[in-house]
Order: sequence, then C-alpha cells, then structure tokens
Amino acid sequence: MTGFVDLYTEGNTFLHQMDPRVKILAVIFLSALALIIGNLYYLLVLLAAILLLLAFGRATLSKTFFALKLVLRVMVLIVILWPFFNPTGSPVLFHYGIIKITEPGIIHGITVAVRIACLASVWYILMFTTTQRDLVRALVKMGLRFDFGLTLSIALRFLPTFGAMVESIEDAQRARGMEFDKGSLLKRSRNYVAVLVPTIVSALRTADMLSLALQSRAYGARKDRTYLRDLRMRPTDYAALALFALTIALPAFAKYVLQVHI
Amino acid sequence: MIPRSAGRADQDFFIVARDIKYAYEGGIEALKGVNLRIKRGEFIAIVGGNGSGKTTLAKNLNGLLRPTSGAVDVAGMPAAKMTVAELARFVGYAFQNPDHQLFSGTVDEEVRFGPKNLGMIESEVAKQAEHAIALMGLQGFRSAQPLSLTLGIRRKVSIASVIAMDPQVILLDEPTTGLDAGETTDLFGCIRALNEEGHTLILITHDMRLVAEHAKRVLVMAGGRIVLDSDPAGVFSDLEILKSSKLEPPPVTLLAHRLAESRIPKDTATPEQLVDRIVALAGGRR
Repeated sequence: MTGFVDLYTEGNTFLHQMDPRVKILAVIFLSALALIIGNLYYLLVLLAAILLLLAFGRATLSKTFFALKLVLRVMVLIVILWPFFNPTGSPVLFHYGIIKITEPGIIHGITVAVRIACLASVWYILMFTTTQRDLVRALVKMGLRFDFGLTLSIALRFLPTFGAMVESIEDAQRARGMEFDKGSLLKRSRNYVAVLVPTIVSALRTADMLSLALQSRAYGARKDRTYLRDLRMRPTDYAALALFALTIALPAFAKYVLQVHI
Repeated sequence: MIPRSAGRADQDFFIVARDIKYAYEGGIEALKGVNLRIKRGEFIAIVGGNGSGKTTLAKNLNGLLRPTSGAVDVAGMPAAKMTVAELARFVGYAFQNPDHQLFSGTVDEEVRFGPKNLGMIESEVAKQAEHAIALMGLQGFRSAQPLSLTLGIRRKVSIASVIAMDPQVILLDEPTTGLDAGETTDLFGCIRALNEEGHTLILITHDMRLVAEHAKRVLVMAGGRIVLDSDPAGVFSDLEILKSSKLEPPPVTLLAHRLAESRIPKDTATPEQLVDRIVALAGGRR
C-alpha cells in the first residue's frame, strides 16, 4: 500500500540532492521536449538520456519495473493497435478488405509508445528522488497557496493510515460473519455499505480532530509564514537549471524558428 | 453447515493452540510459538506491553490471521478448515474501536447484522438480538442511531452485535479504552453476566486493576510468547515478571508487597482482600 503511494527511494545521488524546484522544472522541460520531437530516432536518444539519469539516481531495475508496469502494458497495446487505426502514407505493407497496414503507421505507433515511455520515466525520476514533503515544499515555494500545499501533504500522509483503517474495518465486519466474495453482485455491494459507512465516519472524525490539532498549534494565525527548513538554490542547482533550460530551448528554437524538422 | 458442538476435545478444551507462530508481511515475527488450551466458561485476561503479541494471538484464534506455523483447533475442529464467517459462530471478536464496526441506522439493525450473516432464521435472529440488547442493558437505545451515542454506549452496542451471534467465546480487545470509571464498572457488570451465562471471555487489556478484580486466569505476554499463565494471585506475587513485561501491578499489590514483612500475602490484588487480610492478621472479624 505504502509502496504504491510513495515511490520515493532513499538515496544520496546528485538527483536526490538537487533542489526540488529545479527537478520539477526539469521534468516539465523534458516532458515538453518529448512532446515536440516527432522523429523516432531523436526520441530514442531522449529516452536513452532519461534512462541514463535513472541509472545515475541508482534506481533499481525491479523497483522501476514495478512502477512502470502499467505504462509498459499501454505501450505494447499502442504498438500493436496503432497501425490498424492509422493506416496513412506509403508504402502499404498489407491490404485486405478494410484492414490496411502502412510502414509510416507502424513507425508512428512505435514513436507514440516511446514518447509515453519518455514521459513516464521522466516523472518517475522526480517521484523516486524527491520526498513528498520536499515536493509540496517546492510547490509552495513556487507560488502554490500554503493551505493547498498543506492539504496535499496531509492527503498524501494519511493515505497509508487510511488504508490500515479500511483493513481494520473489513476485519471487524468479517468477524461478524460478513463475506465479501460470496453472493450476487447486488448483495456484495449492499454488504460493502458495512465497510463504507464506518470508513466515512472514521475519516470525518479524524479530519475533525486534525483540524482542531492544527488550530491549537496556531495554524492560520499569520498570513506570512517562516520556514524551519527553507529551500536554497546552490550554484550547482542554477547550473543544472540552465542546462535543462537549454535542452528544451535549443530544440524548440530549431523547430519553431528555424523550421528544422525534428 | 458445521454442527454447533462436535468431537471429543470439545468437552475438555474449546480452543487449543499448538505451537503457533505468526509473522507479518514485513517479516516481523509477532508470535514465536504459543501453546494455549482454553476451557468453556473461562474468564481469561491477556496482558502485556504494546507489541507483545496480544492482538495477534487473538486474531489467530478467530481466523482473521492464520498461523504461519502450528495449528488452532476450535470446538474440536481445525480452524484452518473454517472461514472467518464460520469461525464467527464460535469465537466472537469485539474490536477496540467501536466505530470500525457500527454502520446501521438503528441499534436494533446493528445487532441483527451478525446473526443474519450467519444465516439464522428470522425468529432466531430476533431472539438473539433481544437477548444481546438485554444483556448489555441497551433496551432504551433500540431505535437510536448508533453513531450518535456516547463512546461507552457505542462500545456496548459493538459488543452486543458480537454476542448476538451467540459465540461460545467472546474476545474483547481493550474494551475500556476511553471510558470513565462509571462506564467501566457498568460495562464490566455486563461482561460478568456474560461469563456467568457460560460464555468464555478473553479480555485483552492494560488495566491490571480490572484483571485483579475480574479475571480467573491471566496470560502474561512478552516478545511474542506467553511468559506466564496462571491465576491472578500467581501473577501479582511475581513483581519481576510484571515489570519485565512492562506492566504495572495495582497499587494495592505494591502496598501488600511492602507490607510483606508484616505477613500480608504478596498476591493481594484488590482492596477487599487487603482489608480482609489485615483484619485477619489483627485477629478480628470483618
């Protein structure tokens, strides 16, 4: 449960140490890059670069695979189905009745799949090198209202707690002879009310107490806040930011100003 | 269907746990080999510090957790062959937080949920629900909305909803958490009545005063094992084992230990006993 919600992996690489704001911007830049590149070979180069970054961040193969499993399935589906639904251009490789497959169709399908791989793995870099706390702190520093940021971090913080609570409630009802996997669909969904109601009630009680706890610690007393651990950009962070800005600025300049096909 | 009573072992021991071990998913071994035999009608307290394995043991007895090794027999039958729902008619479990159990619109409906799940016929459901409500003294709350009641009453409703299934054994996980002295006394009046009716009671608690006053057998747990299994007198005369199991004996017991040189027995556990023994020592009658 926790592993599913929080992809963060303890580490001490330059990616872990990079200012989270730089990481967020870098991820946005690299995503934009993946979207403006149309050429499959350039995209493959980008994917290789992103995978290299993953390796620098000491991502283990098994954890990466676990995180990107769902995306991999989507990629396979796209590669298989795309040529059937987008049979444009020539040469035509196969034509029978309404089924037509073209070479550009196949290449386009692969291109889209690689683009998705780029997007997924670049966001995964952010998630596995940055704690949730740092992510929220960075968003607040970048102008997100503090109460939104707090709400976000509380929501993330309470997901595992919530999971444990639902488990306990299911146990409590099973001990009262309730069976989740027996009976018709209607009976099963009606049974689930016995889990849903205590879950909602307990969540509301928790929220109520949490808001009291926040107020008793003077939440909202002042508009301007100070921070115990402030984010500071170091020279290397500026350098990294400049580098990432160039990786999007140059290709964008080439594509939209010089009209080079990339 | 499983018959309500079966087998020979049933007559001697209702629950038999043989060398059960249990490890949680993360690999933490919460039970490191527990042997336990429980007769019908016993009143047992399981005590021990947090993380000593009390709740894990209890959940292994009603099938919510299945032992990683070892076996549990309930009513003379292997628990491994029964589902949680089938076990629920033998071993009831009232959770620590009543809010994890309550969901119905009225107390009456809440209490009927369990027996209905067990497939009892309507007249039997009504009879059992009525009995449970009367035992827990909830007659005045039949049509009340359970979640709007005070914690003390909510706890009683959750216990009533378990006893309505008429299980022989009733497990109570920390039933007095958050209750005041009056509510606690009141609740234990009901719990004693259950025991006198013939139900086996297993109480998980930190409150040594309650143990002294009510339990007839005490299991002290530490580090996933039962380190002491005796009557309350045996537990309260052994301050060392209580201390090493992170338990604090009742003040009266501490007093008796200090008075030991004046021949007050060390196993004194309740104020009544202390008075009796002092009076007896003084040669008087009470």
